[in-house]
Amino acid sequence: MLQIKPILSTLMRNKSGPILLLIQIILSVAIVANASFIISERIALMDRDSGTAEEEVFNFRLYSFDSSIELESQLQRDIRTIRDLPGVMDASATSMVPLSGGGWSSGYTVGNTEETAKDTESAAVYYGDEHMLNTLGVDLIEGRNFYEEEVLTGSPDLATHGIVSKAFAKASWGDEPAIGQIMYAGDFGDKPIQIIGVVDKLQGAWVNSSYLDNSVILNINLVNVFTKVLVRAEVGTLAQLKEAIPAALHKDNRNRVIEGFTLISEHRKRVYRNHELMATVLSMMVVLLLLITSLGLAGMVMFNIERRTKQIGTRRALGAKKRDIISFFLVENYIICLVGGVIGGLVAVQLGQQLMSVYSLPKLEPIYPIMTIMGLLLLTTVAVILPARKAAKISPAIATRSV
Amino acid sequence: MLSMKNISKVFKTDLVETHALRDFNLEVKEGEFVAVTGPSGSGKTTFLNIAGLLEGFTHGDYFLDGVNISNLSDNKSATIRNEKIGFIFQGFNLIPDLNLAENVEVPLRYRGFNSAERKRRVQHALEQVGLAARMKHLPSQLSGGQQQRVAIARALAGEPRFLLADEPTGNLDSMMARQVMELLEEINRAGTTIIMVTHDAELARRAQRNIQIVDGQVCDFTMYQHGAVADKPHLVAGDKRAVEPSSVEAEEATS
Repeated sequence: MLQIKPILSTLMRNKSGPILLLIQIILSVAIVANASFIISERIALMDRDSGTAEEEVFNFRLYSFDSSIELESQLQRDIRTIRDLPGVMDASATSMVPLSGGGWSSGYTVGNTEETAKDTESAAVYYGDEHMLNTLGVDLIEGRNFYEEEVLTGSPDLATHGIVSKAFAKASWGDEPAIGQIMYAGDFGDKPIQIIGVVDKLQGAWVNSSYLDNSVILNINLVNVFTKVLVRAEVGTLAQLKEAIPAALHKDNRNRVIEGFTLISEHRKRVYRNHELMATVLSMMVVLLLLITSLGLAGMVMFNIERRTKQIGTRRALGAKKRDIISFFLVENYIICLVGGVIGGLVAVQLGQQLMSVYSLPKLEPIYPIMTIMGLLLLTTVAVILPARKAAKISPAIATRSV
Repeated sequence: MLSMKNISKVFKTDLVETHALRDFNLEVKEGEFVAVTGPSGSGKTTFLNIAGLLEGFTHGDYFLDGVNISNLSDNKSATIRNEKIGFIFQGFNLIPDLNLAENVEVPLRYRGFNSAERKRRVQHALEQVGLAARMKHLPSQLSGGQQQRVAIARALAGEPRFLLADEPTGNLDSMMARQVMELLEEINRAGTTIIMVTHDAELARRAQRNIQIVDGQVCDFTMYQHGAVADKPHLVAGDKRAVEPSSVEAEEATS
């Protein structure tokens, strides 16, 4: 049975130990709640879907230093050669690679008249042909793909058709249908670009940008001495294709440098390395803090058992059952834990606000202090139950011993 | 009320077996005031612990208020201790962090009484021992005699069938001891059975019946009723020694 009032009396008359434990719990809750929040933010960032078939798609870089090479026809031959290799599902030249940390981006202007014209949010700009969607493995959810004859070769300002990500469509035209809309690429020419398709998800190259999910694919085959090629191949064939692709392309022309074979999943690991490191360090800190807190709780209980051995025996003699002794220690520590948890929760919110203003972190969600307190109650149970069970085994005959 | 038949208690270590009680027999009737005396190490405390269900015994039969105590579960033993037995300890065993009312309330909480009932019983018990006015005081603010009276109030609050007192005056000066003894006698007159373990021969003589334990067995069995010594003392169950009646009478004469 619960004995909250006498337990409170006991705590109020022996303040030193409980106050030290209380301070430890307050600090633990404040730090653990904020650290858990940051960890979960980081994990949520790392879990964002790029929209591509990350384990199947890889890119490599192709440098053509031989001035005698006719770049456009050479690129077309190269891409065809790659598509014909065993294990390759599709391939396309591109301006940038998802999650790679480098590439192109631009804002656009939308609106039918000068009065209604407005600038869009920035978006990653992919140049590609009719194979691009299949090569990336993205899902087309509205409209259509480029037709082969629509794909133009040359500079970015030639673009006439665009396929956009759902996020960019929503940000630019709200609930209006994106298909058929016109936009203008200010930096890359003033030709109208007609939206012909919407893909469910396609992220850009910069994972820390606020417009990561905004992407536009334009109908351009970008021809340059330096070209990025995206290849979609069966899972596990990268090692073999690392050898096969250079061999096949060098057979056509040896004067090229081919390097940098990297799966998108590998790009993901690299660009999220700092987030992962942060999450790992904070997780270790959380575990360490919880361990120290549980040791503090268990130590306090063991000290109290030593100090109260005779008292426990007397309580048993007076009719306390073993479960009464266990519940006595549990309730005593639940009270400390709850008081510390509530104060710690308030400190956590305050600390969260400081972190928010100084480090531009999102606002701490209340669920984190609440979950931390609940976790701490569970930890208290685990830390207290073993010593408390030991206390419950103290013989009531202790009560009649003179020492 | 209390019946022990051939009770034995053996403490075993790797090297030694110690017989704390052997073939111990005792009958205590309802309303009796029995004093248990004996030299140190004779088994008095072991007897008290077994009688109070504070520890088990190795062999024998023990009936308390008609209930066979052999092989009771820990929970059942705790319930019987709480409902039928009141304990008074030599060192008072009050909980220092609780005030007098909270101390007296301890067994009542384990009994599951509601707050109003606990309050009524605490008030009544502290009035019985003359300390109702100090119920918010801590034990450390009381004298030894007052602390023992609080312990008696705690024992009485549950209205037990019998009281087990372990050297109740052992830590008190003679004046305080007399007051506590008078209180116990008053409680006994009100109908509560009392078994009191004591070293004090004078206190023992004030009990209705006096038994002596030597080497774990009941050695002497003398009735003091209406101030008169009863028949010649006799051995009980396997006793090897007897105390001469003259020595008992001599002690009484000097008291």
